[in-house]
Amino acid sequence: MKNESTIIDVPAESSSAMKGKAPLIGMAKDHTTSGSGGYKRGLSIFDFLLRLAAIIAASVAAATMFTSDETLPLFTQFLQFEAGYDDLPTFQFFVIAMSIVSGYLVLSLPISVVTIVRPLATAPRLLLLVLDTAALAFNMAAASSAAAISYLAHNGNQNTNWLPICQQFGDFCLKSSGAVVSSFVAVVFFTILVVLSGVALKRH
Amino acid sequence: MAKESTTIDVGEPSTVTKSSSHVVVDEKKKGFVAAAAGGGYKRGLAIFDFLLRLAAIGITIGASSVMFTAEETLPFFTQFLQFQAGYDDFPTFQFFVISIAIVASYLVLSLPFSIVSIVRPLAVAPRLILLISDTVILTLTSAAAAAAAAIVYLAHNGNANTNWLPICQQFGDFCQATSTAVVAASISVVFFILLIVISAVALKRH
Repeated sequence: MKNESTIIDVPAESSSAMKGKAPLIGMAKDHTTSGSGGYKRGLSIFDFLLRLAAIIAASVAAATMFTSDETLPLFTQFLQFEAGYDDLPTFQFFVIAMSIVSGYLVLSLPISVVTIVRPLATAPRLLLLVLDTAALAFNMAAASSAAAISYLAHNGNQNTNWLPICQQFGDFCLKSSGAVVSSFVAVVFFTILVVLSGVALKRH
Repeated sequence: MAKESTTIDVGEPSTVTKSSSHVVVDEKKKGFVAAAAGGGYKRGLAIFDFLLRLAAIGITIGASSVMFTAEETLPFFTQFLQFQAGYDDFPTFQFFVISIAIVASYLVLSLPFSIVSIVRPLAVAPRLILLISDTVILTLTSAAAAAAAAIVYLAHNGNANTNWLPICQQFGDFCQATSTAVVAASISVVFFILLIVISAVALKRH
């Protein structure tokens, strides 16, 4: 038996047997630059770039909503003539949520860099996927609830006698709608990021 | 070469380590060894995934039907105010009913893929398909749930700055039903997040 083992071992060290035995001998390092490591590294780089784009989208959304104040140059006894994001709790939630999402994206950049450097490691990618999914749901919640309120502000609701305020506060409506659109763009980026991580995780 | 491989199989079964089994993987025994090692916990994850899907089907059908039947008519009338409330008075609630119904039917259609990943725990394609489509459906579900939640919040509290009056004070039953539907949809969002994480963990190389 030992005799056969010896015979197996010796050819294993020769160059002709290298390829078949490469994973055994720990030649896996070469795989990071060729074979499956190559396209995974490409996916990681694309992931990093998408994250940068999503940071811009999310922070623009938060900033636009935050600065969407408008004061009308007239006054009466009865109506409010200032409009700002803090008049609507949903928009307050939107600003806070988009700020949290932007902060999370900035903090996830180092992990993304780690997946570029070590394309075959699964732990960072799995962590990114789980956190990205949670951030996606959070982002989508903020974006769609703000969209519902924006829709109301533009159209009102006759059945409940909720008047559309956009007819008086044009700039405020414009900026808040722009912020909502920007955060939907961030949602699209997050979806692509999650799918990317899933594809890069799979065994090859 | 084949002769040495045979010798490894026969001669050192008890000392074969994980790394050696990689060599075995290249031979005919691949499926057998792999099913014993990586397939076990992945099959468990796939079963959990299937059960979660069944629970999510129940919850989403419940949410959609509760919102659909959330009507209330008050027993008095004046010239000026509406005294019926239904889901179709609010475009956001209409969107909610339609999209949660779409989510429920997606879940039913995804059950076969889930069963395939139970039967073949190591197959990558069904899990990847489920992960991608679950992500898209997650965004749809959370959109519907959040938008409806914003309207429900307004109905409960109103908004003093925009002069939007809270309607829940007149339409108590209607508000109750819509709030229940929103809560159920939010629970299904949590389920979807779990489903995505399960697919990702099951996908990763072992």
